[in-house]
Amino acid sequence: MRDPFTVLGVAEDADDAEIRRRYLALVRDFPPDRDPDRFREYRAAYDALSDERKRLETRLLHTNVAALSRLRAAALHAASPGSARATKRTVTALLTDGIMRTATD
Amino acid sequence: MKKSQRSGAPGPSTPVGVLAERAAEALRQQRFKEATELFKLAIRQDPRPEWTESLADAYSGRARAMAAKKMFKEAAMVLENTIAADGTVRDPRLYLTCLIRDAQQPKAAAYLLRSFGSGGTLPAIERTALEDLAAALLVAVPQLPEAPRAASSELSRWRELAVASREALSAWISGAPVEEMDRQLNRISLRSAFRPVRLLLKCLTGTPRDDDRTRHRLETIQPGSAFYPFRQAVEAAVFGERVLDAFGWEQLTPAQQAFVAETRGLPTTASQFLARSSEAAQGGPAVLFNYLTKQPDLPQAEVRSACLNLLPQIPDRLAQFEKSFGPLSDLERHRVKALAAEARNDWEAAEQSWLAAAEAIAGGGADRQVTLSQGVIYRHLARLAEMHPEIEGEGFLGDPVSFYLERCYAVDPEHIPTLLDLIGRYRKESRLKDWHRLVDEAIQRFPDDSHVLLQATESAVARKAYKRAAGFARRLLKIDAINPGVRRQMIELQVAHARKQMRSKRPDLAAKELSAAAEWERSDAPSALLRIARGLVGLQTGAKEQAEAWLREGVELAGGGVAGWFQAVLEAELMNATGGNAGWLRQELARARETSPTKQAVITIVAAAGRPEAGENKRVVAGLLLGMRPWLLQAAAFDWPDAEFQALAETLARFDAFDLLQEYARAARQRDPANPAWRFHDIVARTKGNADRLSMAETDDLFEMAEAAARREDFQAAKRIERFLDGNGSGSAGKSRADVALADTIDDDELAALFMAMMDEMPRGAADSLRGLVQELGREAALAQMVERFRASPVGPGMPESLLRQLCAVMVAKALDGSPSRPGRKTRRSQLFDA
Repeated sequence: MRDPFTVLGVAEDADDAEIRRRYLALVRDFPPDRDPDRFREYRAAYDALSDERKRLETRLLHTNVAALSRLRAAALHAASPGSARATKRTVTALLTDGIMRTATD
Repeated sequence: MKKSQRSGAPGPSTPVGVLAERAAEALRQQRFKEATELFKLAIRQDPRPEWTESLADAYSGRARAMAAKKMFKEAAMVLENTIAADGTVRDPRLYLTCLIRDAQQPKAAAYLLRSFGSGGTLPAIERTALEDLAAALLVAVPQLPEAPRAASSELSRWRELAVASREALSAWISGAPVEEMDRQLNRISLRSAFRPVRLLLKCLTGTPRDDDRTRHRLETIQPGSAFYPFRQAVEAAVFGERVLDAFGWEQLTPAQQAFVAETRGLPTTASQFLARSSEAAQGGPAVLFNYLTKQPDLPQAEVRSACLNLLPQIPDRLAQFEKSFGPLSDLERHRVKALAAEARNDWEAAEQSWLAAAEAIAGGGADRQVTLSQGVIYRHLARLAEMHPEIEGEGFLGDPVSFYLERCYAVDPEHIPTLLDLIGRYRKESRLKDWHRLVDEAIQRFPDDSHVLLQATESAVARKAYKRAAGFARRLLKIDAINPGVRRQMIELQVAHARKQMRSKRPDLAAKELSAAAEWERSDAPSALLRIARGLVGLQTGAKEQAEAWLREGVELAGGGVAGWFQAVLEAELMNATGGNAGWLRQELARARETSPTKQAVITIVAAAGRPEAGENKRVVAGLLLGMRPWLLQAAAFDWPDAEFQALAETLARFDAFDLLQEYARAARQRDPANPAWRFHDIVARTKGNADRLSMAETDDLFEMAEAAARREDFQAAKRIERFLDGNGSGSAGKSRADVALADTIDDDELAALFMAMMDEMPRGAADSLRGLVQELGREAALAQMVERFRASPVGPGMPESLLRQLCAVMVAKALDGSPSRPGRKTRRSQLFDA
């Protein structure tokens, strides 16, 4: 399981109310009918953090398989959402991905 | 003889009709290469249109076969043989797939452009998808394909739109301002296949950003579109602050990650970290650990946390970790050791390390966090103990699951799930005093919790405190008005009372009891048991018409037919409702048996026979099952799933219907010979559930089955076999576990010494007398008698049945051949206990 704190984007000392608020905000943005996988991930993370004992359990018992998650999140948050542009190579790679996927399907 | 003649190939003089016939036959049999050659020969002599069509079909089939073998280049070349006058091939979709998979995107783009321009002979159903693919190709290829000299207006339009899309994309890439982008985007028709380009760029440049509109625009690009990966990248880039958590990032493809990094203006260090850390992660935990410890620019607290989480997978890096980040706390060290032990399935070490971790936590004081953390560890140990017998708890005699749940309850008494688990454990272990004590404590502490109230009701019922149980049940129904469990329980309780009254020849009191039971029945969920019971009592108290109506209603609710009447007859027997009524019911049951059995009916009967009151009247149920033998036999041939068969087998064994069980097991083995479960039931049936009747071959089979079940982690099956081998087929898992635990306390050396002592101390004359016993009784019976003798000896009590049998088998073998090979210590011990 991924680190649920990172999945929900909350600190380890977040309380019940904060975790619930964050979970509901994410579910509003990604309801199950739009992105079921993402919703399942949020739901599992919320289940793992929804009360004090579960949070302790997550911190004590789970080896965080995605140990990188938090570092990656930190690296991503360091960015400022601006109006930078992508390179032609990247855009071509995206289109090629789509073309190949269509051909494979 | 010429090669062509040898292989049956047509000669130059073969008539064209024969050629075409053989070609058609080859095509029908999907021998596409042969069909192609034959049609080519036939067409050379007589170019009939239908043969040309068939030749194209043969090419198409051959190309499909090649594509299936990933020979895309060759498949595309084969399809090019079918190019028609309008420039299209026989199977355009396959042709495009082959070109694209062979990295010939420009050729695919040119083909599509030509096809659309030539008036469109593409299948209508595929046209939309192909247009979407064409648009993506025409935007992605390095150079737009040349237009033919006499280009149609449709082709010119496609080219125009492709040029507009490519220019808009280039403008965005080179940083054109919003106004310029709007001008560029307006050239792309929203009705064309290039619409996704316009929408995606609009989402990226729209100011001020309107989230709803952006989302709506993006959602119009469906998952089947070639632009979908682009849409996902734009979504992540635009809504980054909300979606770019770990989940979002890891879901992105490398191209999408690059797009997000570029459009969000990530610093180079961050982009590099994101890219390289993924590569390092693929190299394994040690590579990732090394990579992370060499990142001084990253926040060190987060790096430490990530490395700490990697340590259980690479405990040998503990010293390196401490060198980089300072010493670990006691709790962290024990936690890492415990998780590392779990990872290598060393459960004894895991238990010790977790206990040390709990102690280390206790050193931090007695605040809420400390006690809750200890509770978490003890609960975890209880869970592990359920799965791994190596977790011992306080010692080999007690139940480690209860032990750890008790410790958890002691430090965290407010945690209701632990409380309920512990109550469940006490019940399972038949620790009645502890069960009732804990329930009393729980109801004091949580008087309004529905789960606790249900437990309190059940505890009161078990203590025969009916009024108390009714009080709890009413409280529970105030909280949870529907609760079918407690309603059913109260009805069953009062029906049980009514049964007693009937057996005491007091039908009037029984009727009163059953009227009271109706309080617990919901009008929309009538109880079959209550209806049947009221009917049976009513038949004796005089209201015959009403009684019969209740009875028939109950029979229908109980599943009708054989299942329903079986339950009515069973209830009549349990109530001792003898005389004419019982005869009438049996006639109804006999009439119902004229219909063929169904799985559902058999399972309903099994469930009815599994009720505790039925178990207490074994003779009655056994008699009923015997009467239904022919009917039940018909169901032996059904394809029973494992779980249902298991329930059925247990019921048949419980009521000594071993001949039926054997028929069921044999039929199942015929259907599915590979499933060892049927062999187990066959053995149980043959030995009539008595492990003392096992032959050596059967014993070996069962040990193998138990080991195989344990290997595939089917612990239920392993324990079932183990219980049977221990001669405790219907006993609790707890007892079996205690036996195993006892055996586990004897280490290898002690076990060998025990065997040696037994062998050496066997009196000289004993071998002779044992040989005589074998000659007189046969090997199996002699072995069984030996087991009985040992069981009564001082070493017998507490020694598992399987070990006793093994020991006796060795002694018999030694007596018979004089020089038995002693069981290999490790191997035998493993065979005996590991399962």
